[in-house]
Amino acid sequence: MTTCFHCNEPVLTGDKFFTTIDGQAQAMCCPGCQAVSQAIIDSGLANYYRFRSEPGNRQNALVPDELNQFSAYDLPEVQQDLVHRQGELDSISLTIDGITCAACAWLIEHKVKTLNGVTQIGVNSTTQRVMVSWRPDTIALSTILKQISDIGYQAAPYQVDDQEKLSKAEGRKFLLRLGLAGFATMQVMMFAFALYSGYFTDLDVELRDYFRWVSMIFAAPVVFYSAQPFYFSAIRSLLSGKLNMDLSVSIAIAGAYIASCIATVNGTGEVYFESVSMFTFFLLLGRYFEQQAKQKASVSSSNLHKLIPVTAHLIQDGQTIEIAAKKLKVDDIILVRPGDIVAADGDIISGLSSVNESMLTGEQMPVTKNIGQKVFAGTINIDQPLEIKVKALGQDQLVAEIIRLQEFASNNNPKIALLADRLARYFSATILTIATLTYFIWLQISPDDAFWITLSVLVATCPCALALATPTAVTCATAIFTKLGIITRKSGVFEKLPQINHVVFDKTGTLTCGQLSLGTVKLFADIDQEAALSLVANLEQGSLHPIAQVFTPFSDKNLLVTNINHQVGKGVQGIYQQQVIKLGSLAFCIQNSDNLNIDVHSHHQHVYLSINDKLIASFELNDLIRPDSEQVIKTLKAQSIMVSMATGDSSGHVKYLADRLHITDIHSGMSPESKLNLINTLQQTKHVAMFGDGINDAPVLAGANISIAMGSGSAIAKNSADLILLGDHLSRFNDAITVAKYTNKIIKQNLAWAFGYNVIILPLAVTGHVVPYIAAIGMSLSSIIVVSNSLRLLRLKL
Amino acid sequence: MSIIYVLIPIAMLFVLIAVAIFFWAVKSEQFDDLDRQSVSILFDDDNQSSPSKPNAPKNEPLTKEQPELPL
Repeated sequence: MTTCFHCNEPVLTGDKFFTTIDGQAQAMCCPGCQAVSQAIIDSGLANYYRFRSEPGNRQNALVPDELNQFSAYDLPEVQQDLVHRQGELDSISLTIDGITCAACAWLIEHKVKTLNGVTQIGVNSTTQRVMVSWRPDTIALSTILKQISDIGYQAAPYQVDDQEKLSKAEGRKFLLRLGLAGFATMQVMMFAFALYSGYFTDLDVELRDYFRWVSMIFAAPVVFYSAQPFYFSAIRSLLSGKLNMDLSVSIAIAGAYIASCIATVNGTGEVYFESVSMFTFFLLLGRYFEQQAKQKASVSSSNLHKLIPVTAHLIQDGQTIEIAAKKLKVDDIILVRPGDIVAADGDIISGLSSVNESMLTGEQMPVTKNIGQKVFAGTINIDQPLEIKVKALGQDQLVAEIIRLQEFASNNNPKIALLADRLARYFSATILTIATLTYFIWLQISPDDAFWITLSVLVATCPCALALATPTAVTCATAIFTKLGIITRKSGVFEKLPQINHVVFDKTGTLTCGQLSLGTVKLFADIDQEAALSLVANLEQGSLHPIAQVFTPFSDKNLLVTNINHQVGKGVQGIYQQQVIKLGSLAFCIQNSDNLNIDVHSHHQHVYLSINDKLIASFELNDLIRPDSEQVIKTLKAQSIMVSMATGDSSGHVKYLADRLHITDIHSGMSPESKLNLINTLQQTKHVAMFGDGINDAPVLAGANISIAMGSGSAIAKNSADLILLGDHLSRFNDAITVAKYTNKIIKQNLAWAFGYNVIILPLAVTGHVVPYIAAIGMSLSSIIVVSNSLRLLRLKL
Repeated sequence: MSIIYVLIPIAMLFVLIAVAIFFWAVKSEQFDDLDRQSVSILFDDDNQSSPSKPNAPKNEPLTKEQPELPL
């Protein structure tokens, strides 16, 4: 099976599409991939194919030029919000869809660098962002965006999450502290080894003191600079009257350091510099992992929060001007052309067309709209131009209502307190109590040693392993998820996934591919199937109707169809070789449909082709069920997880699909509110996971215990979900549950070990047997064991 | 053995320099995109030298022979 040279998807259109690269014709799977690879070669950037380590992004069918113009970005109101002006240069930061590896970053940079007027460009492949500066009088932003789109990447401005702004600065400071702690710890360890020899052989007092002073100097930056986060966190928790782990950590670090300084100056007692440094280092490492995970999540949140400017064509005094959608007022009249996005909720005052409302209702087939009917912001006009009188703006629109519902749902979502956090609280209290007790008891027995033994208790029981237990496992599990193509947006996912006992699926776009495809073709006359398909493709060329998209790969440049005329709700007709060809419903195509061998009660959609009123062919159109849907549902049921379907569709297709997939609990014709109510009812007794992809799923995704958005879904859905499935492979969900269960097991093992270690060392410390090198060995061993155990996660075979 | 009183301060100086360089590297954003930095030296296009260096094992060869030599 040949695979597309660009994106590695299987090629189903024979050798129709190809691009000549380095003198050899390479197969392409669709017009999109072909156009993109041609653009890459034409720009002299064929090296991209040499450098890349991952296949390119699958290009959807060629988007008609009207939709691709990006002219909205040049409007002054839009530029005001998004573009940063400094002197003669404009600059903007954009998020890019479609980056798969570092070579993509190289490709984009080199393509845009060559444009006249661009002064600077930098692509970050980790955060998937590009920063570009240009001279506005030489080149327009829309041109830059078009160039990027030509080579297959979609760039869009985005809203920086507040969370992310904080994360970035924090992350860097963390790295500085961590690096310093690392360097210093290495040095202090070296001297500590020298000092350990004092326990086994003779060590000159001068040398011993010298090493102690040097250790003290090296440990100072660690204690005063690197450990700052712990001190601040401890003070904050004290001020709010709670105990947290950082309190005992701060006491241990500060106390041990000061005591060791005193010991160095006086030349008596024990020094714990290496334990203090190592301890700070390991703890910082754990915190750094956590912070990086949060940062990744907030970066992908920001990237999903795209600010694509919406424009409208305002009709004023007989003229049409393009303005930003936010400048519209109620009762303004706007013109919505075929292919345009409707800019505001309103009533149709002129025109007849069909509108794609799939982003709001989830249904693929466009809805016919006539004069007097309502259209909604965000939907796409398909057939004919419409004049709309604006009736609702901003927060009054249907879309805004759905978003409000989503925010309400996410605020009322029950939060599961994480196991590790609860344990940590009890832990601190216990350790501090035991340390205090130890001090007072030893004060009676041997006052000189009391202080040092208490110190060793604090140092030895320091929750090093405990702090590393969860972050390391979560980081490894997240890495596996990334390899599987699952993006984690919120924390706590690994704990919540194994608890799921009920899954609700949306229908269109989740269980099905969401796009119409060609099913069975029946021929009623003496014509070749390919010829029939090409005829249809050429007849439907330029149409944005979902049915037309199905036939696009079969278009043939040599077939000339003229006088194309669309009839809304019925079909399309044209002239080919002086014959009238029609494509559409049966009634549209032929006059008399009595003696034909056609099953009109089939639950599949059909379109018919006729030439001069004689039926030639019928084409079955399916919204294909995803290939792994059936298997996923079977596996879930085998794990005693109940499965339901909740969809906005109320057609016969729902029952058909449910029967095919053996789902018995069906809810059809659901609005966003009713979906949310369904989940809330289920949540009273169960842990519910929800799968969705459209805007109408956003509220229910925010309300479920765990929600998963399909990678091809709307941005709002992805922004409300806990997990995003890239590539839309449903079967990865089962893998995710397996990984989460295993991760939980490993976390529990880590925690068990961390506590076990403390239980063993505590009596040894209390009875005065723990000297610095024992504390250091114990600490490093327990940390290594925890980290290695977490690394076992990476070996999981799925 | 008393040479150690000189050597250790010298070592401390080296560590100080290393830490300073590390701080500079983090502050100049070199740690922000580790994916990119690791391969950017291999994306040699200024002097068209042969990109036939073993880049990543997953690299697909365009043709059976290795790419051309510099012009």
